[in-house]
Amino acid sequence: MAHQAHAYHMVDPSPWPLTGAIAALLMTSGLAVWFHQHSMILMAIGTVLMLLTMYQWWRDIVREGTFQGHHTPPVQKGLRYGMILFITSEVFFFLGFFWAFYHASLAPTPELGGCWPPTGIFTLDPLEVPLLNTAVLLASGVTVTWAHHSMMGGDRKQAIQSLTMTIVLGFYFTVLQAMEYVDAPFTIGDGVYGATFFVATGFHGLHVMIGSIFLAVCLLRQIKHHFTSGHHFGFEAAAWYWHFVDVVWLFLYVSIYWWGS
Amino acid sequence: MAEEDIQTKLQKYRTAPFDARFPNSNQTRNCWANYLDFYRCQKALDAKGVDTAPCDWYKRVFTSICPISWVQKWNDQREEGNFPGKI
Repeated sequence: MAHQAHAYHMVDPSPWPLTGAIAALLMTSGLAVWFHQHSMILMAIGTVLMLLTMYQWWRDIVREGTFQGHHTPPVQKGLRYGMILFITSEVFFFLGFFWAFYHASLAPTPELGGCWPPTGIFTLDPLEVPLLNTAVLLASGVTVTWAHHSMMGGDRKQAIQSLTMTIVLGFYFTVLQAMEYVDAPFTIGDGVYGATFFVATGFHGLHVMIGSIFLAVCLLRQIKHHFTSGHHFGFEAAAWYWHFVDVVWLFLYVSIYWWGS
Repeated sequence: MAEEDIQTKLQKYRTAPFDARFPNSNQTRNCWANYLDFYRCQKALDAKGVDTAPCDWYKRVFTSICPISWVQKWNDQREEGNFPGKI
């Protein structure tokens, strides 16, 4: 029986990169078809394929790491680098939208009335729901840190409780933000103000939902005893992502909600 | 082509002088500011019941440097009550 003479993980052949690539193709071309031919079927197939790919690929990673022991320290280090690089790329993604916001708001054009907020735009009061949302996300940052310390200290019950609280807070943010969206006095079509507001906060909200799902998967895994006090990188990655989402919100709040009002 | 000499031309053909508030080649803000200033000046002096002649400077500046289509558009907006600037 031959064994590997190194600590790295030579991954078995897998169909998920291919199905993922096909899903990306179908989703993007499906988007174009939806725009021009009013049919959503291609996009729907692509989305389903993407969801199946994500589920099965990540399920396989859990199997390889948690059940088969392939995530040795060097492998885990690589995963850490990977998550950090991914989050960095997301930072640049948001940077673009902040660039757009500041470009429009620092030198408002005559079409807007030469002022920011533009003439006719009634902004949301930053001291109302947006401030509550800030408190909710900051609190969720505290609870996720609490969960981490509980996990490291082997306190299973508190880890589950604080992780659950984090997810509930994330969900609360999403609900509050959805209500704000419905009741806002302006829309995405209301000039550059509406465009920058809803695209920036919209992508942020999407990331809150993704982060909440990531944390929920971690909760499920914690309940099923996947994590140990010394090895729980999946949870750490989720916590990093969650903190990133919180920081983006803080920038959004200060720039768009507060300064931009 | 004209029979005017350079001195006559210098007297007759004038444009807005350099405004240090707008030093760069994009003069949009210069046009906008003078357009606003003219109508604000007019509104303020009318309210006091004083002759609005001092406001003419702003009018001459924006007439020189603004694209005619912009001035027409803004005039129409003011008439309809849609003008986005604060007068």
